[in-house]
Amino acid sequence: MSRVSLAVDFCGVRFPNPFILAAAPPTDSAEMIARGFDAGWGGAVVKTLGLEHVEVNLVSPMMDGLKYEDKNLIGLENIDLISNRKLNEVLPEVTDLKKRYPDRVVIVSMMAGTEAEWKEIARRVEASGADMIECSFSCPHGMPERGMGSAVGQDAGLTYERAKWVAEAVKIPVLIKLTPNVTDMRPIARKVKEAGAAGVTCINTVKGLIGFDLDTFAPRPDVYGQSTLGGYSGPAIKPIALRFVAEIAKDVGVPVSGVGGIVTWQDSVEFMLAGAGTVQVCTAVMRYGYDIVEELIEGLSLYLEDKCLGSPADLVGRGLPKLVAHEALSREWKVVSRIDEERCVGCGGCAVACRDGGHQSLCFSEERRGSDLERVPVVDDEKCIGCGFCRSVCPVAGCITMVERPAVELAK
Amino acid sequence: MGNGQPPPAVAETERTYAPHEAVIEASRCLMCDEPPCNKGCPAGVDVRRFVRKIRFGNFRGAARLIRDANPLVGVCGRVCPQEILCMEHCTRANLDTPIDIASLQRFAGDVELGSLAPLPEGLRDRAERVAVVGAGPAGIAAAVELRRAGFQVELIEREDALGGVLAFGIPPSRLDQSFVESELDYVKRLGVSVRLGAHEADPAALLARGFDAVFVAPGLWRAFRIGLPGSDLAGVVAASEFLREVARGGRPSVGARVVVIGGGNVAMDAATTAKVLGAERVDVCCLESYDEMPAFRSEIERAQAEGVEFHTRTKPVRIVGERGRVTGFEGEGIRWKVPGSLAPTNAEEIPGSGFSLPADTVIEAIGQGPLDRYPGLAATDRGFLKIDPETLATSIPGVFAGGDIVSGGATVVQAVAEGKKAAVAITAWLDARGPKGGRR
Repeated sequence: MSRVSLAVDFCGVRFPNPFILAAAPPTDSAEMIARGFDAGWGGAVVKTLGLEHVEVNLVSPMMDGLKYEDKNLIGLENIDLISNRKLNEVLPEVTDLKKRYPDRVVIVSMMAGTEAEWKEIARRVEASGADMIECSFSCPHGMPERGMGSAVGQDAGLTYERAKWVAEAVKIPVLIKLTPNVTDMRPIARKVKEAGAAGVTCINTVKGLIGFDLDTFAPRPDVYGQSTLGGYSGPAIKPIALRFVAEIAKDVGVPVSGVGGIVTWQDSVEFMLAGAGTVQVCTAVMRYGYDIVEELIEGLSLYLEDKCLGSPADLVGRGLPKLVAHEALSREWKVVSRIDEERCVGCGGCAVACRDGGHQSLCFSEERRGSDLERVPVVDDEKCIGCGFCRSVCPVAGCITMVERPAVELAK
Repeated sequence: MGNGQPPPAVAETERTYAPHEAVIEASRCLMCDEPPCNKGCPAGVDVRRFVRKIRFGNFRGAARLIRDANPLVGVCGRVCPQEILCMEHCTRANLDTPIDIASLQRFAGDVELGSLAPLPEGLRDRAERVAVVGAGPAGIAAAVELRRAGFQVELIEREDALGGVLAFGIPPSRLDQSFVESELDYVKRLGVSVRLGAHEADPAALLARGFDAVFVAPGLWRAFRIGLPGSDLAGVVAASEFLREVARGGRPSVGARVVVIGGGNVAMDAATTAKVLGAERVDVCCLESYDEMPAFRSEIERAQAEGVEFHTRTKPVRIVGERGRVTGFEGEGIRWKVPGSLAPTNAEEIPGSGFSLPADTVIEAIGQGPLDRYPGLAATDRGFLKIDPETLATSIPGVFAGGDIVSGGATVVQAVAEGKKAAVAITAWLDARGPKGGRR
């Protein structure tokens, strides 16, 4: 179907397409990953594994969603842990998976404590035939208490040390999955680069508290009357993820596998424009199934064709030169709101937004149009500062646009 | 209406979603496992999958998916009785209202009309030539599938345009003709050779002229007539001829009072079209009760919404006139002699139930039959072709048949399904036969 090849080279590994199943429940067994590969995913990160003796003691329930109006999964919070499967059980599956799908990329996510443990797992993963290793320095719950997960990723020194242990232990490329639960990820990403890791996976879940039960006063997800802080994912965190990807790609210059809230091919393109060389998806796959990769692949192919681009690589970082510091933005460019009267349905949402959330420059007046009295929006160009909030609330696509402020008459 | 040119009767079904509306509607889809909608489409469109494509912003992918399964994407989006097909068992109905699959399909069809739709890649040409007689839904579907399989396809049509019932049957108020034309561009772009204005009624002769196989799908273009007293009066017409004239842009004068005889979809089309043409009052008389009428519920409701009056469980008695022109219609009430049979012979008049209606035009819509008798092809008394239901093979080897000439009249999408099935059967038959003369 597609005329454009979606193959990409990422950290020296060839992916048939840039779409990867992130380390999560959808990658907890070879049987599941095989179904994902059959659907079209270019790669998969096997759910995080520890050494056999590490006890993984799960709680239940471990997931809860954020409902917003009619949507029941804008965001997903989990208090799941690393895989409760054993390393010596999963690695033979990896070997078999690579035999069955030699053109797909299998990445194994791992987490450990001591230097010896990190190195042992890394070497065993490499020996299994996996193409890459992803080190989780980022899980925000369950592991930090044991000095692992985001406790590592929040500390540049610990990150450097562990990234170096793993990178030195194996020849296959190593990705470090970083946590967004820091004020600035760039110093940590620099340490990853210095340590010799091939790239970063950005971002893991955002530490959150999904909500409370108003009847029992218990936080959610309710585990026998109690709960804990969890990792928040899904479309709600996309802007946060894009920010970290863009900052790292722009300022650190290390390959980034982008992850966080991707559902559509358009989301994927945005991550690539922000500098991601590959993209990972988890929550959307959990919600809608492996098949959604069909829309990612077909949508990206048609888009590249339209843009006359030969490869997804041509998109990577293309948006970054236009991302500048606030003080570098133009102060000469001034816009005002323009409302298309033909399209306007007269709800007045923009007027409320401007009155109570803006600069009182937009109102509706009743005007006689033929035999009807119609509510017509009126923008006061003098008062409008061009904030753009009215455009954000308008329910009609393309009805409100921001146009360059008309030149002020000199006579005034 | 001021300049004497009435406004085009653009149907409600012509309104299509803006992209954001389509995404909102598609995101109501529950994306069921084992989706019931998929089981409802005779043409085998993967409904769940195309709705998902729209939901996740892959509009062109949706258009391509549907067109691969059904070349009449947009047409079926407009004329399919979705309420009894894909939408009938939509799981969302258990929650609130079913997904508006009809509108989503119209949206997808408009994303890539026939003139823009991409051609299949890697089409491998084959030497065999296949003639398709009749460019209606069945013929078009068969021609497209056979061409995609690589055959040299000649689509032969008696009329001067493609479409069959789409162009000459369904009134413009239900299906915009300019839309049909652009959608059918795809057939020509695919490399199907089209011969219009050619009346072929002898499949054996086509085989003799070098075609390797023939698909006969000419539709039903001979109107059955009741033969009532007075049916020779001016102003008494057959629905198919009336609708054909309107479909070709004509505006026949129907007068103020119109009586339509019949309870099927064609009768509903004739009744609503008479309204569009300016009739003040339109009465439909049919043998069946509301529940028994063969017309789709949506079509009956559409006619009712237009103000059409119904006289159910009635039979026509005579048409009366003055000076050679119809002036009225007489009918009477009936009951069924034996429950369960809707045959006219099973109707029994109810004494004293006679009624008369003034009429300027009487339209008979009691069904249609084949225009031609096909030499050598086994057929019923009324000329409907007999085929092997599995292979659609007729009594002449190499000649296949489908569509209304076999079924006696069904939906557009059913005809598409039969055309696709015929293409598969013809391909299998030609594969089994091997190259003509033993080598290619």
